[in-house]
Amino acid sequence: MTTRTAVDGRAAFDARNLLIHAALIFGSVVMLLPFGWMLATSLKAPPQIFTYPPTLIPNPVVWQNYVDTVRAMPFGRFYLNSLFVAVSVTTLQILTASLSAFAFARLRYRGREALFLVYLATLMIPFQVTMIPNFILIRYLRWYDTFYALIVPTAFSAFAVFLLRQYFRGIPVELDEAARMDGASSLRIWARVIMPLSGPVLAALTIFVFLGSWNDFLWPLVVTNSNATRTIPVGLASFQGQFNTDWHLLMAGSVIALLPVLLVYILAQKRFVEGITLSGMGGR
Amino acid sequence: MGVRQTPHPHGNHKVRAEGAADVAPYSGHTTFAHRAKPKLPLQAHMTAQTASVSQQTSVSRWRRYRPDQQWEAYLFLLPSFAGFLIFVAIPVIASLALSFFDWNLLSPPEFVGVKNYVQLLTSDRVFRKVLFNTFYFTVTIVPLQLAFGLLLAVALNRAVRGIEIYRLIYFMPVVTTIVAAALVFQWFFNRDFGILAAAIWELGAKTGLPIRPPDWLNDPDWAKPAVVVLTLWKNTGFTMVIYLAALQGVPRELYDAAKVDGASGWQSFRYVTFPMVSPTTFFLMVIQMIGAFQLFSEAFVMTRGGPAQATLTIVFYIYQMAFEFSRMGKGAAVAWVLFIFIFLFTFIQTRLQRRWVHYEAGGES
Amino acid sequence: MQIRQWQVLSILVLAALLLSACAPVAPSASDADSGAAEMPADEGPVTITWAMWGSPAEVATHQSVADAFMEERPEIQVEIAAEPWGDYFTKIRTLWASGDASVVPDVLFLSPIQSYASEGVLENLDPWIDKSGYNLDDYWPSLMEFATHEGSVYGFPRDIGLEVLYYNIDIFDEVGVPYPDESWTWNDLLAAAEQLTVVEDSGRVSRYALGMEGGKFMLWVMQNGGAPLDDMRNPSRCALAEPKVAEAMQFFKDMMDNNYAMPPANLNQAGGDAAVFQSGQVAMIIQNASRVSAFNAAGMNYDVAVVPIPDGGQRAAGAGGASWVMSALSDNKEEAWTFLQWLQSTDGGQRIYTASGEILPALQSTARSDAFLNSGQPPVNRQAFIIEGENAKIGRTGYFAEWSELNGSFISPGRDQIFTGEVSVEDGLAAICEQVDAFLAENGFPK
Repeated sequence: MTTRTAVDGRAAFDARNLLIHAALIFGSVVMLLPFGWMLATSLKAPPQIFTYPPTLIPNPVVWQNYVDTVRAMPFGRFYLNSLFVAVSVTTLQILTASLSAFAFARLRYRGREALFLVYLATLMIPFQVTMIPNFILIRYLRWYDTFYALIVPTAFSAFAVFLLRQYFRGIPVELDEAARMDGASSLRIWARVIMPLSGPVLAALTIFVFLGSWNDFLWPLVVTNSNATRTIPVGLASFQGQFNTDWHLLMAGSVIALLPVLLVYILAQKRFVEGITLSGMGGR
Repeated sequence: MGVRQTPHPHGNHKVRAEGAADVAPYSGHTTFAHRAKPKLPLQAHMTAQTASVSQQTSVSRWRRYRPDQQWEAYLFLLPSFAGFLIFVAIPVIASLALSFFDWNLLSPPEFVGVKNYVQLLTSDRVFRKVLFNTFYFTVTIVPLQLAFGLLLAVALNRAVRGIEIYRLIYFMPVVTTIVAAALVFQWFFNRDFGILAAAIWELGAKTGLPIRPPDWLNDPDWAKPAVVVLTLWKNTGFTMVIYLAALQGVPRELYDAAKVDGASGWQSFRYVTFPMVSPTTFFLMVIQMIGAFQLFSEAFVMTRGGPAQATLTIVFYIYQMAFEFSRMGKGAAVAWVLFIFIFLFTFIQTRLQRRWVHYEAGGES
Repeated sequence: MQIRQWQVLSILVLAALLLSACAPVAPSASDADSGAAEMPADEGPVTITWAMWGSPAEVATHQSVADAFMEERPEIQVEIAAEPWGDYFTKIRTLWASGDASVVPDVLFLSPIQSYASEGVLENLDPWIDKSGYNLDDYWPSLMEFATHEGSVYGFPRDIGLEVLYYNIDIFDEVGVPYPDESWTWNDLLAAAEQLTVVEDSGRVSRYALGMEGGKFMLWVMQNGGAPLDDMRNPSRCALAEPKVAEAMQFFKDMMDNNYAMPPANLNQAGGDAAVFQSGQVAMIIQNASRVSAFNAAGMNYDVAVVPIPDGGQRAAGAGGASWVMSALSDNKEEAWTFLQWLQSTDGGQRIYTASGEILPALQSTARSDAFLNSGQPPVNRQAFIIEGENAKIGRTGYFAEWSELNGSFISPGRDQIFTGEVSVEDGLAAICEQVDAFLAENGFPK
C-alpha cells in the first residue's frame, strides 16, 4: 500500500494505479456530495430546496441569493473581522505554542512532565463550562465587544503545544547538539534548527488553527455586541430563525465563508507534502 | 507515477534545507537533516557515529552542556504560560468551584457542597444514558477515524497524477460547515425523501423483494450509527492531514533499506511507517479521544440528541444543563466527572505508549 | 513556513490592520451607554438598548419599529442588539451572569418569563401599569398569564403563538376532499387523511396527509381534556398517566402508524413543516402564524382552518408568546417603559409587526382590525385565528423555572419513545410520570 515499496513492472503498476484512482474517485464523490448540495442549495429558489426526488442541479440558477446574502448584513465588515481575528490568532498561537513545545520537547528541567500534563488536562474540560468564567474575566478586563476579547483568550492552545511537542521530539537531538557546540543559544536553535525542520507540521497546524478560529461561533457571539466586531459565523447563524431558516442564504454565505479556509489549505498543502511534489514525480 | 525507483541523495531533505536556507545557518548548509542516513556527508560536528549514538548518551551529554536550562525553559514557556494561566487555567478552576454551587446565572450562586455530584452518581438517570452514549461514540469513532485517516494519508502521500486534487477533496468535509453537512446527512438518511432511501426503495420496487430502508434518525438503534457516520465523514480529513505531515518526517532511506531487504508493501508499512508515525498516532489517539468524549456539534445539529436521548452526549448534557435548564453548577459537575474519565484514559494511554510509541529523542515518557 | 505564504499572510494581516485602523479596536457600546446614562435628560436624547433574536429580515422589521418610535419620540434613542435565535438565551444569560449592568439591554425579548422573573432580574411592571393606566384587557384571554409571575406582570407578549391547520388547496382539489372547517372532528381529519395520503407499491410514502412537530402533541392532549401536570404553576404530580391523555396519544400514534402523519423526526430531517408543506410532501400542517409570509412569498395556494377537535373535546390552542420585558438593572426605566408601552399599542409596534405578516398580534383590537383580517393576502380564512384565540388555554408549558428541564429531560424523550414504538402508549406515559414525579419531589414541589 505504501508508496515507497518496490514495484516490478510498469504494467502491474498501471493496473494498481487504476484501482487506486477508482477508489479515490468513489471516495471523492462521497466526500464532495454534501459540499455539492451546499453549493446547489445556495443557487436554488426556496421552494426548490427540499423537493423529491432530490436534485443537485438548481433550476433556475438563482445568483441573486449571493447578492441577497451579502446585503442582508454588513457582510464585508464581518468578513474582514473574521480574517483579522483568524490571522492574528493563528500567528500568536503558533508563536506561543512552538516556544513552549520546544521547552517541553527539548529542554530538561524539573516539573516538565507534570506541567505538560496540566496543559493536557485543560483540554479535557469542555468549553461550555469555562465560557462563563472567561466572559466574566473579559468584562473585568473591559474587553467586551473588542477584538482583544476575540483574539487574546484563544491565542493559547494546549492542542497546538501537544501537536508540536510530538513532532519536535521526532527531530534528531544531534542537530541541536551540533548547533550548541557552535555556541548557539536555545532561542537560536528553536529559530534556526527546529522551526525550519517543522514545516509540514506547522503547515498542518496553521490550517487547523485558522479553521478553528474562522468557524468559532459561541465565543464570538457572547463577547461581541456590535457589527464592528462581529464575525462571519455569528452573521450566518442569524439566517436560522426561530421558525424559518433561509437555507438558500445560509448556504450562499457558507460558500463564501469557505473560500479563505480553502485558500489557506491550498497554500499550506504545498508545504506539508512538498517532498512528494518536488521529488516524487521525478520517479516517473 | 507512484514509486521512486532510485535512492535520492538529495530527495526531500534537500528541499527542506533549501526552504530553511534563508533563515537557518545551522541547517541551511547541511543536507543531513535526518537520522538513519549514514551515507550522507554530515556537517560540522555531526558524524555518522554521532547520528547512531544512543539517545541516552546524547541526552546526558546535552545535560552536562547546559546546566541552566531550568530558567531558559521558563522563559520559553512564559508567553504561552501567562496567557494559558489567565484564560485557560483560571476559568477551568472556576468551573471546578462552580460545581459545588447551584447557579442559574441570574441570581448569585448558592453553595451546596457535593450535592450536584451525589445527584449525578445516584439519582440522575439521564446521566447514565449520556454516559453510555458517549462511550459508544468513543469506542466507535476513535479507532475508525485513526484507521481511515492513516489509510487515506498513506494513499495520498504518493506521486500519483492529480494527487493534490484528491487531497483537497478529502479535506473538504473538514471545512464544510457542520450545519450544511448535518443537513445533507439528514436528507441522506430520511426514510421517505432521502437519496439513500430512494435508492433502496427503488431496488425494492424493481426486484419485488421486501427491502425497506431503515428509519435512520427516527429509530434509537439507527441514530447512533448515523452520528458516527457523520463524524467520520467530517473529521477524517483532520486525521489525514496530521498523518500526511507526519509521513513527511519519515526518512526515505528507511523505505529504501526495507526495499533492499526485500520487504513487502505491508511489511514496510508495519515495520517502517507505523513505528515512525507512532508519536503522531499517540497524539491523535489522545486528541481524538478527548474529542469523542466531547462530541457535541454533530449530535446537536443533526439529531438534537434524539430520538429519546439516543444521541445525547455528555457535553450536550452539559450544554443543556448550563444554558437550557439554567443549572450551571450541575453542568460544571458533569464536566468534572467527564474530566476524570478523560484524564484516566489519557493517563493509561501515556503509560501504555512506552510500549509502542517510538520517539527519536529527548525523553522517557 | 515558505516565504510566499508569509507574503500572503502578511498582506492579509496588513489588510486587517488597515481595517482596524478605520474603526477603533475598542468601540465599546457599553461605554456609550453609560455615557448617555449620566447625561441629564434635557441635554440630549437618552439611549436605550433593545435586544431580540431574529433573521436579517426580522431585524429589518424591528429596525423599522425602532425608527417609527424614534420619529415620534426623538428624545429617546433606541439601539438594537440583535442576536441569532440559536443561542440568544445563552448570550442573554451570560450577560446577566457577569452582573454588569452596562452590558445588559434595557428592553429584551424573552420567554419563558417565569424563570427570569423568579430570579429578580426583571422589572415588576405592576407599578408602571398602575401609574400610566396601560390597558391589559385588550390582550387575548389567558395570554397575560404567560408573562405573569406570582400575580405580577413582568412582560408583554408581542403575539400569541397559537396553531391553526394549514391546508394545500391544490392537493385537496386534486383528491376531491372537502376543505376543513369549524365542524371538523378528529374523525373527519382521519377520513380526509386516508384519502390524502399516498403510499407507493414499494411501501414508500410519497405524500403524508399531515405534518406536525413532535412538541405540539400536547395540543391533542389538551383538546381531549388532559394536561401534563396537575397544576401548571405549582405542580404536585404528573397528570399524563390518564386515559384522556392516552387516548390523545393513541390518536396521533395511529395517524403515524397508518402513514397519515409524518413522524416528527422525519419532518425535521426533511427540512421542517414549512419545507414539506411547500413541496407538497404533506397536505396539511399544524402551525402558528409564522409560516404565512413564507408561503405567500412562494405563491402557494393554501388556506387555514381551526384545528379539528375530538367529539366532546375543546379548542385548546396555547396562549403563549415571547414577551417584551424590562431589565431590573436598567438605568433608563422611565424611557424603557415609554418604549414598551408604545411597542404594545395598536397604533405603535403592534401595527407594524402585524403588517409584516408573520404574527398574530397579542392585542385583540389589532387582530380584529383590517390590517390583520383583511390584509388582501392569503390565507383568506383568518377568522380561524380569531376563533382559536378566543379559546386559547394556558397550560401548554409549565409556568415555573424547572419546566424546561422537566420537559427536555423527561417528557419529550418519553414522548419520542412512544412515537417510535419502543413502548406502548400506556407504559410510556406511566414511565414518564414516574420520572416526572421523582423530579418534582427532588426539587421540592409543590412549593
